[in-house]
Amino acid sequence: MRAVPLPRFLSSVKLGYLNVVNHLLAFPIIPVMVAVLLQVLELGPDELIAHWRSLGIDTIHALCTIFTVVVVAAAYFMPRPSPVYLIDHACFRPLRTDRVPFATFFEHASLVPFFDEKSVRFQARILESSGLGEETCLPLANRYIPPCPSMEAACAEARLVLFSAIDELIAKTGLKTRDVDILVVNCSLFSPTPSLSAMIVNKYKMRSNIMSFNLSGMGCSAGLISIDLARSLLQAHPNSYALVVSTEIITPNYYAGNERSMLLPNCLFRMGAAAVLLSNSRREEDRAKYRLLHLMRTHEGADDRAYRCVYEEEDGEGNSGIKLSKELMAVAGEALRANITSVGPLVLPVTEQLRFLASLVAQRLLGARGGKPCIPDFKRAFEHLCIHAGGRAVIDELQRSLGLPAALVEASRMTLHRFGNTSSSSLWYELAYIEAKGRMRRGDRVWMIGFGSGFKCNSAVWQCLRAPKAPVDGPWSDCIHRYPVHVPEMVKLL
Amino acid sequence: MELLWTISATLLLCSLLSILWKEFDRRRNRNCYLLDYVCYKPSDDRKLSTELCSDVIARNKRLSVSDYKFLLKVVVNSGISEETYGPRSIIEGREECPTHDDCVDEVDDCMHRTLDELFLRTGISPIDVDVLVVNVSMFAPSPSLTSRIINRYRMREDVNTFSLAGMGCSASPIAIDLVNNIFKTRKRTLAVVVTSESIAPNWYCGTDKSMMLGNCLFRSGGCSFMLTNDPSLKHRAKMSLKCLVRAHLGADDDAYSCAIQREDAEGRVGFHLSKSLPKAAVLAFAENLQRLAPKVLPVGELALYVLRGLRHRLWRSKEARTDAATAARVNFKSGVDHFCLHTGGAAVIDAVGRALGLTKYDVEPARMTLHRWGNTSVSSLWYVLGYMEAKKRLRRKDRVLMLSFGAGFKCNSCLWEVLRDLNDGGAWEDCIRAYPQQTLVNPFMEKFGWVKEA
Repeated sequence: MRAVPLPRFLSSVKLGYLNVVNHLLAFPIIPVMVAVLLQVLELGPDELIAHWRSLGIDTIHALCTIFTVVVVAAAYFMPRPSPVYLIDHACFRPLRTDRVPFATFFEHASLVPFFDEKSVRFQARILESSGLGEETCLPLANRYIPPCPSMEAACAEARLVLFSAIDELIAKTGLKTRDVDILVVNCSLFSPTPSLSAMIVNKYKMRSNIMSFNLSGMGCSAGLISIDLARSLLQAHPNSYALVVSTEIITPNYYAGNERSMLLPNCLFRMGAAAVLLSNSRREEDRAKYRLLHLMRTHEGADDRAYRCVYEEEDGEGNSGIKLSKELMAVAGEALRANITSVGPLVLPVTEQLRFLASLVAQRLLGARGGKPCIPDFKRAFEHLCIHAGGRAVIDELQRSLGLPAALVEASRMTLHRFGNTSSSSLWYELAYIEAKGRMRRGDRVWMIGFGSGFKCNSAVWQCLRAPKAPVDGPWSDCIHRYPVHVPEMVKLL
Repeated sequence: MELLWTISATLLLCSLLSILWKEFDRRRNRNCYLLDYVCYKPSDDRKLSTELCSDVIARNKRLSVSDYKFLLKVVVNSGISEETYGPRSIIEGREECPTHDDCVDEVDDCMHRTLDELFLRTGISPIDVDVLVVNVSMFAPSPSLTSRIINRYRMREDVNTFSLAGMGCSASPIAIDLVNNIFKTRKRTLAVVVTSESIAPNWYCGTDKSMMLGNCLFRSGGCSFMLTNDPSLKHRAKMSLKCLVRAHLGADDDAYSCAIQREDAEGRVGFHLSKSLPKAAVLAFAENLQRLAPKVLPVGELALYVLRGLRHRLWRSKEARTDAATAARVNFKSGVDHFCLHTGGAAVIDAVGRALGLTKYDVEPARMTLHRWGNTSVSSLWYVLGYMEAKKRLRRKDRVLMLSFGAGFKCNSCLWEVLRDLNDGGAWEDCIRAYPQQTLVNPFMEKFGWVKEA
């Protein structure tokens, strides 16, 4: 049920009601405390001392009581896991020379020898309605005619994107690489030996007792899987720093066949990388930008339909590529519903949960007469949203199924337009967009949702601790003034 | 005021008890128990005899006669028997152009066989698994190998999966490290780890000698094992993890590039092993032992080591003592009963054995594993463990050290304590009676004896 705009005074009443329900316990206690305080203040200091003496509490009693209070407080606070702070993040800024405007893409597809006429037209039609802009970037090796996806070229792309992002993060945070205790790298479709994590350890001369992990094959949602792993490691090691690096290396994954369901990645995937510095050191609370509130992972792999919807295989001619099934949208929707069922109770305010519950009950008991199924109003739980910019269709589907206004999906649409589908790092480009637009305020909550092969849906909730000061230096620095742009439904190429 | 006193005292007692209980519970749940492990035994039609190896090598028409001799020499002198296994695609002649299905089938066969048996033996259902880790260094399809397992065994949707790749031959302790860290933050968690290597997509078909060794030495193998931190399952567990040390020498350029996957001069991808590999291995080994020793050795031995070092410095001996010799004088056998050494090759096992001051009995499990299974990369430690168990060497309270090396360059080790007397034959069941073999000389030495003259 979408909220009907209310007259202003009723909005205030509604706000008051929301506050009462959310802070139910605090409300009776505060008046009592105020009353006690007023009573105490009314009495003079002599009367207070007389009252105190009359209670007959000797020193030992007093000490014990104080000690008890301290111990109870310690018992209450002690077992809490230390918070995970996001100190800062940085994204790879592609060079203008790596741009692939539509005309370049189309020309390249026409000139390479392996695509037939139909495949070229199909790719053009995909691009037309993809939601991508003219400034997305592909690596050099993929722009050769024909592309030469050698291992050396893939490693060169990896060095370019990873080291740029990490160098920028180091410049922003003053990080000394010898202080990094945990390193988690994820790249789905390229995993050389030694791993990309070893490549980073080598370049930045990290310590020999570093806890490094390299995740691969985990799809576009692997960025949040890496954050989850870093979080677990941080919780096991106090006062530590974790560097999480997410990327997708495009070079070795060019599909050189004519199977339609496998041509989509060629059209949508683009270069990108992100580096994130996390810590659980209390010292960092002052300069950290965000705090991780929740992280939920959902894996639908047990369902064959979900498992097969993003699948690497060879076509009839032996060309390897990623096949996207027609049921991708439906599967994504189901995975999202499963994920938000776990996230919802943690983040939705009590009123919203009660309303959603009431609507579910009404549905069950009264059937169609109970009204249409109610979608929880997630605007009440988050101020900002970062949905993986997998493609226009994914963003449209999520906007529809969650009942989101255009403003909340703007970051995703604009990231898709400017950078294309950068896989696991796309969420960080979206966050950078929100910051660059100056919309992030202290206390704001951000919901990141990633989808990927498996089929997985992972989401993370961050709270802003320190709003970045404008102008924000990041991947959007040179173009934020042009955004948001209107992305037409169709850009005519042919 | 008695009431106030009583209330304070009660609250205090409850809080103290609560703190103590939470601390005790936290410590109880921090342990990492190995419930069981199953080593992969491929079907007999995948056995690679020396003769078959020779045929496979001969199929590469780019090799010169001297290359052919070199390779055959490596195979014959490797200490590997006629009973090791290779991927079907290589045996059937598709080594230069394996299909995606070949690669997937190779890994699937290993994962399915070992996991089926693991779930059967432990009696635990796949639906109860909370964490799943797969590490296969040189093959990472999409969806990941973890997703393949989830699909096949219909695991829960909240399983936390991690698919490690590119982490080299020493990745087994890395996977254990990952699970161990998760155990520190969660109670009553069950984890399954699958560790294997993929050979089919990584056959080198060029002529660069530094890249050909992998072809000769790597063999099919894998292991699935189950870990838990649930104290109620301790009575069923085989071993308990005591400590884990990881040493990563990637910061050193020579160490980083001494074992690296790259293209040769003709653009063919292979695994290059450089001449600086032994040096990198020694440095990584020393780094690892330096950090391992205080955790593993009894105080007495450490004190002796310090005293010897002092004596050496104060009364300067005329003999030059190298670091390796000094290391040998730290008696690791005082804190460790059994050594699971990575079966990287006969030379590697011998070098590590010498460095640690091990006897023939101590290195026998590793040598015999190399003989029976070849270099199965990440899973080799588990075959060595399986040998010890099949030979009934593992008794309660024994301490087992797993030590492995791998690309990066890394040296990782972990120490286990055996919780009960272990007797399972496992993958060694049908052949343990034939071991230890007195001679590891290749039976084809007669036929290929001319390689010795080459």
